[in-house]
Parts: sequence; C-alpha cells; structure tokens
Amino acid sequence: MIHLYGVVEELEALPPVAGVDAGRLERRRIEGLELVVSRTVEVRDVTQEAILSHAHVVDELMGRSGAVLPARFGSAFSDEQELADAVRTNASVLARGLSLVRGCVEFGLRVLGGDGAAENGSDRLSGRDYMRTRLAEEKARRRLAAELHEPLARLSRASTRFGGASSDLLESAYLVPRPDVAVFGEHVRRLEATHGGLTIICTGPWPPYTFAANGEGGDA
Amino acid sequence: MSMSEQQALKQQVTLLELVDRVLNKGVVLSGDITLSVADVDLVYVGLRVLLSSVATLEEPREQISATGAAS
Repeated sequence: MIHLYGVVEELEALPPVAGVDAGRLERRRIEGLELVVSRTVEVRDVTQEAILSHAHVVDELMGRSGAVLPARFGSAFSDEQELADAVRTNASVLARGLSLVRGCVEFGLRVLGGDGAAENGSDRLSGRDYMRTRLAEEKARRRLAAELHEPLARLSRASTRFGGASSDLLESAYLVPRPDVAVFGEHVRRLEATHGGLTIICTGPWPPYTFAANGEGGDA
Repeated sequence: MSMSEQQALKQQVTLLELVDRVLNKGVVLSGDITLSVADVDLVYVGLRVLLSSVATLEEPREQISATGAAS
C-alpha cells in the first residue's frame, strides 16, 4: 500500500524522519502536483503511534514547504496507478486548496460554558415559560458565540464553525496568515480576559487539516 | 489546579485535538479510508470526557490556552 501524507509546494527536501510503520518517505510528482508518500505493508488497524507518525511527518513538511495540504490519515492506495488516478481526478481541487492555505497555519478554538443563566428556579416555571426561558438562553448563547467567533474570523483568511456537541458554546477553526499569528493570539488572550466565566481552549498552530478537506473547510 | 496539572491537561487536549484533525480532517483523495467507525468514535468519546472535566473546573481564572503548544 501507499500511504499519503500530503500535497506540498516548494518542498526543499524530505524531512529526515520515518513515516508510518517506519516507512521511508518518498516524493511523487503527478499532474504538476508534488506528493509525499511512504510504503506500508498492508491495511492495518489505526494505532496512536501510526497517527502520531503521520502527524509528525506533516509537521515536518510544514517547516520545509511553501504550502502543505495534509492528507487525512487512512488514505491508502494499492499501487502507483491508483494514486496517480486519484490525484488526476482531484487535481484542480488540490491546486485551489494549496493556494488557499499557502502561508497560513490553523488554530482551533473550543469554548465551554455560557449556559445555565436561566436554570435558577426553572422547576417553578410553567411549561410555556420554561420553553421561553430556554429559547432566550439559546439566543443568548448564539449571540455570545458570534461575539467570540466573528472578530477571530475577520483576522483569518478562512474560518469554519462546527456543529459540535451542545455542551460546546463554540467549536471553530481559523486559517491565519503567518504574519498575523501574533495578533490572533493576542486577540484570543483578550477574549479570555474579558470572558472570565468561559473556558476558552485555543490550540495551534496546526497544519491546515481543517482547510485541506477538499475545499470544504472555509466559510469566510 | 496546579501548574503541572494544567500542563498535563493542555497536553491531553492538544493530543486529542491532533488526533481529531488527523482522523477527521485533511484532504481525501480516494474513497478507500481504512479506519473503522469504532476507532473514530473512541477518539470522540475521549475528547468529550476530557472537555466535560474541563468544563466543571471551579476557578474561572484557570483557563486552558494551549496556543503555541503544537508547532
């Protein structure tokens, strides 16, 4: 099998690290696109070690390339022909993806809290009032989520909000140009300072996994 | 939470966010994804449990910010 790590642009040299299953990294050029792959023995169960190996290679590629579209773990091709066919089929999407993520890194945000404002005394409310209270609370949560998300989205080349579980006030990702990372981080810290009752979890910088998803990642 | 506990939590959140990205995001070139649904579900269960524990922390000043932790 051939394991794909990502599509790259202006890769200086392959990083001196091993791939999944200790496989040796190799380059392929198909339809003008450059890919980094390694050979794996066979389809196998996913392990944390394999996931981390994949992520490590992608991280290393980020430091050595003009742009990287990370591949989702588990994309395996039985032979060179199948890989080439898959790249040809998706060539224009991949080229667009590379131009979107060029010069950017990704940040993830999860915000928890912001609920329970209307819970006090809810057992004494009538059914109708309870539903009204719940509706008002839901609107307030949406407003708060937008208040947190929109300024960060404006600092980003692209952003996306996930549906997430109901316990998350906001789950989102931002594609941030490298020169703007410091400003983005500063803004997150400001949000933390001004929203003390919320748990704000910002992770990154990541390779742009979210925005590599076949051009479906961004909405801004 | 002590500083070392916060640090450990940050690392766990970062690891789970990483696994979520590697398994569920990223470009897909073929329909031949080799993971089972159970593998992916396990990751989500772990993430949810962890985040629930973060959400119940009492002190609002002790928030987690893992910015810059995974370069």
